[in-house]
Amino acid sequence: MPKNEANDRPEEIEDKTEGTISRRSVLKIGAAAGAAGVLAPSILNPSEALGFQAVAEPVICVTPANSPPHHPFVDEFRAPFPADDHPLSPQPQEFANIGAGEAARAPHQRWSQFAPAHFTYELIARAGLHTFHPDYSPTYIWGFNGQYPSPTCLNKYGKSTVVRFRNSLPTTTTTFGRNEITIHLHNGHHGSESDGFAGDFFGTGFWKDNFYPVIYAGLDAFGGNGDQREAQRSQWFHDHRAEFTLNSNVLGLNGMFFIYDDIDPGHEHPSANSLQLPGYYGVTDFPVILVDHRFCPTSGGRTEMVNAAGGDKFIVNGQIQPKMTVRRRKYRFRFLNTGPTQTYDISLIKPDGSVGTMVVVATDGNLLQHPIPVDAGANAGNSNSTTAPIVPGAIRVSVAERYDVVIDFAEFSAGSKLYLKENRTMFVGNPSPDPLPPGLNIGNVLIQFNVVNREPWFPKDTPPIPATLTTYPDEPATDNTWEWQFVRDPACPPGTTPVPPRLFRVRRPFDGPLGCVFDAEHPAHCILQGTTEEWLLNNNVGGSAWVHPVHIHFEEFRTHKRFVNGVEVPVPPLQSGRKDVSRLEAGQGALIKMQFRDYVGRYLIHCHNMAHEDAFMMVRWDITTDLAACESIQQVCNDVQICVPN
Amino acid sequence: MERRRLLSRIFEPHPASPGVSRYTNAVLRTQDNKEVKFYDDLIRGRQVMVQFMYAECKGACSQTTQRMKRIYGELKHRMGKDLFFYSITIKPEEDTPAAMKHYAEMNKVDLPGWYFLTGDPEELQTIRFRLFGMAHPGFDLDDAMHAGMLRVINDNRNSWGMAQAFASDKHILKRIMWHDPQKSYAERVIDNRNLQVAIMKDVKKYGYRRDV
Repeated sequence: MPKNEANDRPEEIEDKTEGTISRRSVLKIGAAAGAAGVLAPSILNPSEALGFQAVAEPVICVTPANSPPHHPFVDEFRAPFPADDHPLSPQPQEFANIGAGEAARAPHQRWSQFAPAHFTYELIARAGLHTFHPDYSPTYIWGFNGQYPSPTCLNKYGKSTVVRFRNSLPTTTTTFGRNEITIHLHNGHHGSESDGFAGDFFGTGFWKDNFYPVIYAGLDAFGGNGDQREAQRSQWFHDHRAEFTLNSNVLGLNGMFFIYDDIDPGHEHPSANSLQLPGYYGVTDFPVILVDHRFCPTSGGRTEMVNAAGGDKFIVNGQIQPKMTVRRRKYRFRFLNTGPTQTYDISLIKPDGSVGTMVVVATDGNLLQHPIPVDAGANAGNSNSTTAPIVPGAIRVSVAERYDVVIDFAEFSAGSKLYLKENRTMFVGNPSPDPLPPGLNIGNVLIQFNVVNREPWFPKDTPPIPATLTTYPDEPATDNTWEWQFVRDPACPPGTTPVPPRLFRVRRPFDGPLGCVFDAEHPAHCILQGTTEEWLLNNNVGGSAWVHPVHIHFEEFRTHKRFVNGVEVPVPPLQSGRKDVSRLEAGQGALIKMQFRDYVGRYLIHCHNMAHEDAFMMVRWDITTDLAACESIQQVCNDVQICVPN
Repeated sequence: MERRRLLSRIFEPHPASPGVSRYTNAVLRTQDNKEVKFYDDLIRGRQVMVQFMYAECKGACSQTTQRMKRIYGELKHRMGKDLFFYSITIKPEEDTPAAMKHYAEMNKVDLPGWYFLTGDPEELQTIRFRLFGMAHPGFDLDDAMHAGMLRVINDNRNSWGMAQAFASDKHILKRIMWHDPQKSYAERVIDNRNLQVAIMKDVKKYGYRRDV
């Protein structure tokens, strides 16, 4: 068998220089591959084999003081495309399909109970080009199916789902990302083999089926699809590769995952149990995926992203300062902050410059028991931070938090303009084309809303938001208590250097003064399956001045107490619902309670500031049926910091 | 021909490697008092792990050194061939090549592929800031950040990461491995197969993937 025969032929080489492979040569290589048997995959560049246009790698500039200027309100705001649900070949299976190129993994838990999957998606991580603004040239991105933002999966409770994540990133990369992925669905209730554990990444050419039964927690106790009160409706998936989570998320490896059921069905018809919230995806129900970037000046036909925390352009759904035509009716917006590091304070500005009302219906995808209107009045804000007080009327969204809000545009006349405002200022470089409300700076605007009358073909307004959206399940008695402290190593006096170095860590009270760094091989905590624990999350050790949005995989929690500098304070209303991210601002603590049911395996607790999790503020915890076996390999963290003279 | 091509590919710097502009080409001295250029002789095209230490440091540095020694034992077959350890002093005024040699011998780590380096104080400080200040550009200006940790670099892949000196040996090994030379797809298929076998054993034993 002459090896690589296809590659040696001049016409195929020509094909390759064009950056693509013709259908004919794919067939030829395919035939050669068949004959070459097990060695065949080595001659296939995975993304070329799938017929993708190769995208030239970016040339990153020296970090510029400003991104290039842009003109506000040019693009029309849009939702990401819905992901395409289609049959997978080969079919998903319980055990890793190693022969067909699946990455190694444990067998899917509860496969026989929920297979075959009702929805199957294939999301291919690959390089692509995306134009963030018409003033910009295309930008090199990594996206699922090459799109930015990645497609949204629209799912339904009770319909089990397999998402085949295929790694077709460039085999060698010159950009700042790392071409190995492990995709976490934040915050699905499923087995750890499908949870995107930070150490379980796989390289180019492989794929992995994540099996999401898409059920409510409480399978064992409630049977069927679990306890509906545990529903979580706005989830998102993102790369979780240890050390490189920030990079791959900046490049674009994240997307949203909506889950509907009879209460929140994804349409607005009156139907049994439906709350009739605004619900047509991309029509009256929009994700608002927030991220900040810094861009290089345009050169060679490209405007590239710089790999830096703290960008000077705020991006919503892949666009910079888009405008949106809204009808005089209610809309639902699902805010998601994909970071990588910054916290947003989002408010609605009315035409007269005053703060408008956003009604929060869900926090981190969990419906609130009663909707909470956020306006300049009594309920303002969702933070009791003393160091960074929240602006009245704003909703604070730290990395990975989601807030679903309903905005009613019916009270505004056609022709009026409203603005979604972020408290920080971005660099625009051009004046607003429209006069702004008094007091509003163009650099603070995320989206401009242009109110028009509803056309006859546009869906009619939904009824008022019900006063009660859901009831939360009772929580069982606590079996165990535990404490996690989120710390940064203390600074050494000037002229000395710390050994070991300064890092972000997770500390348990019995650890050495510094605490734990991420160790994929050892759990920091072991939990007996079926138990309930109270966790104290603390960010007041060593007088922290950092914000740590703490995320816990697998389970949502209720916040029972909040603390500021160790003193109990009332739980802010927007922190009182079920959540999966507990934002700990400087000096803050939270007492949360959660159950660990239905599955076993390795999960994570970490700070979702992606720079912090990459700098080790992350530990593994296990759900197990054999506590002693798990505890025998429990992580030992006894670092002592020593300051040595420089 | 294949083999030559392969070898030259392995030890070439990555086309996007920042090279001297990041690593500098400072002239350092090894424990055997040999002059070496930091980028050209030590980093270029190689996979390396860098530690900062000083010879008189009794606590954390020597613990780290002991740990690196155990890691060295695990990776003996690669050391000096495609993998190198560098222990660079933060007190070059005291740490002459002879002092470094003494330290290496005392700790029984005067081994092939493990260099103890000293040099001009200012140049060493530049190297330290360059190596430990660039994982996230936001931290660049914080000079206390990242100093003294284990930095893993593979210039051939232009990849670099950190290994925490006080994580478990197994995890440090993994963090070095994460920057191993890019394997061909065929090699990774074999690795994947072996990993699956290990995972299945683990699942059988513990009910979930616990140890691999």
